[in-house]
Amino acid sequence: MDRLNNALTLFFSLLVEAMPFLLLGVLFSSVLLLFVDERRLIAAVPKHPLLAAMIGGGIGFLFPVCECGNVPVARRLIVQGAPASMAVGFLLAAPTVNPVVFWATWIAFRDQPEIVFLRVGLSLVVAVIVGWVFSAQADLRPLMQPGVARAMPAVRGAATKPSGESSLLQSGTYWLGQADQPIRPDGSLSSSAIAINPVLTKPLSDKLWLLVNNIVQEMRELGGVLILGTAIAAIVQVFVPREWVIGLGQGPVTSILAMMLLAWIVSICSTVDSFFALSFASTFTSGALLAFLVFGPMIDLKNIALLLSMFRGRAIAYLFILAGQLTFLFCLLINLYIS
Amino acid sequence: MLLAWGGLMLRFWLTGRINILLHPDYVWLAITAGFALLGLGVAKLWEALRLARRGIAITQPSESHANLLPPGWSSALLLAIALFGLQFTPRAFASQVAIERGVADTLTLTRSQPQSFRTNTRPEDRSLIDWVRLLNVYPEPDAYTGQKASVEGFVIHSPNLPSNYFTITRFVITCCAADVYPVGLPVRIKGDRTAYEQDQWLRVDGDMATETLDGQRQLVIQATSLTPIEEPQNPYDY
Repeated sequence: MDRLNNALTLFFSLLVEAMPFLLLGVLFSSVLLLFVDERRLIAAVPKHPLLAAMIGGGIGFLFPVCECGNVPVARRLIVQGAPASMAVGFLLAAPTVNPVVFWATWIAFRDQPEIVFLRVGLSLVVAVIVGWVFSAQADLRPLMQPGVARAMPAVRGAATKPSGESSLLQSGTYWLGQADQPIRPDGSLSSSAIAINPVLTKPLSDKLWLLVNNIVQEMRELGGVLILGTAIAAIVQVFVPREWVIGLGQGPVTSILAMMLLAWIVSICSTVDSFFALSFASTFTSGALLAFLVFGPMIDLKNIALLLSMFRGRAIAYLFILAGQLTFLFCLLINLYIS
Repeated sequence: MLLAWGGLMLRFWLTGRINILLHPDYVWLAITAGFALLGLGVAKLWEALRLARRGIAITQPSESHANLLPPGWSSALLLAIALFGLQFTPRAFASQVAIERGVADTLTLTRSQPQSFRTNTRPEDRSLIDWVRLLNVYPEPDAYTGQKASVEGFVIHSPNLPSNYFTITRFVITCCAADVYPVGLPVRIKGDRTAYEQDQWLRVDGDMATETLDGQRQLVIQATSLTPIEEPQNPYDY
């Protein structure tokens, strides 16, 4: 009975602490959705893929969205012609590299400030590297869902090709190894519905109502996930034998793998996941906590469904493997050499 | 759903139970969020009434976010938890958690770095946490032998101490109940510790002494007087 009460106290404690941050994250992402025009931003992005990836990672500070808000934004960025490196950099970094998450992590890990800075730094590094790798693929369309691919503008590189070809048959229409269907770039004309954020043109009072509705809807959806994640944390803390958790949490390799797996399963929002990780702070290695905090926001179970609205399965597998390997490698280095 | 959550956060605050859940620095966050949720709830209610009066059915926004849970389930879960929370009274952690979280290792390291280090504090003014931090910074028990001590906390019968010792304990909180960790000092008493029940709150007055317990030289409080006290409104220390 005592144990049950402890678990419930823990559960409500985590929820009461996390709820304000979830609300704040949802508020920011909703405001962003309604009031920001990404096209101006894209016009200012540098051409070099590494720089673009850095900018993409850094604009999380302007777009404080958690991982549920970043996929729609990244999708719009791609559709409006952002370079791949920038879009992927943004996709992976924005849920972590932003002020709300920074603040929440700071509150949770006030006693271990290195966790806060390493979390943001590592996320940025991993996102930039993966973004850079993706820039090797000059045209992202084969990796995208057909709807998104059709909506994308012609590749920048293709525009500089000698114009000896027919204007009807543009370069990049057919791809080797992609015989299943030809990609039709003329689709970009009919896709204005995706290309322009339709809300931007509405009057302010409508926008405000949409804002409220969006906040409520996201709270409703993310709140359920938060409750599930919190319940897992409370149960593990109170009911799983402590020696067992410590045994798993102390190995430099096993602890990282365990926390990455946990991050993938619990799919908790980046604005609140630091409170979740906090309940493991005394038993797990710092590298493992970081692995949870860096990898979780990038790719998790919930996120994959979202990513499928944008990428094909193959691209998601690349993202998953690249981000996972890099996170593991960096966190292992931290476990072995720093802490 | 929103009203229930707003109500829940504010109820924890108004009944003072929020102190058991959160570090006081962050209580304002929960209170603000409580009011914000109530505000959102009222706004939605007002909208629903307005639409109902005009005879328009409420429609869900068309663009939905893909998620782990179907939206209906998620709302139901939130509502159920909020309603349950309104019935539930959280209790501060007690000896069982302390032993599980390792107060048996006696001088658990405090994770907080001491922000101010007051050497001129009178020993009897130091709280339990001050003592443990002091020992972390300068872990030489002999340096404190003979100093007066007056600390408050609850009783734990640590299994690795002889029966005329108990551990006077407090939890330290840095953020929320998920990260509370126990700190404690052994107390030597005359007679058997069964006279003092586990989890009972006491003020312990006495002198510091050095003992070898469990194969380790450490600081213990030699109790001269033990006064039962009420569990404080805010049971944690910082």
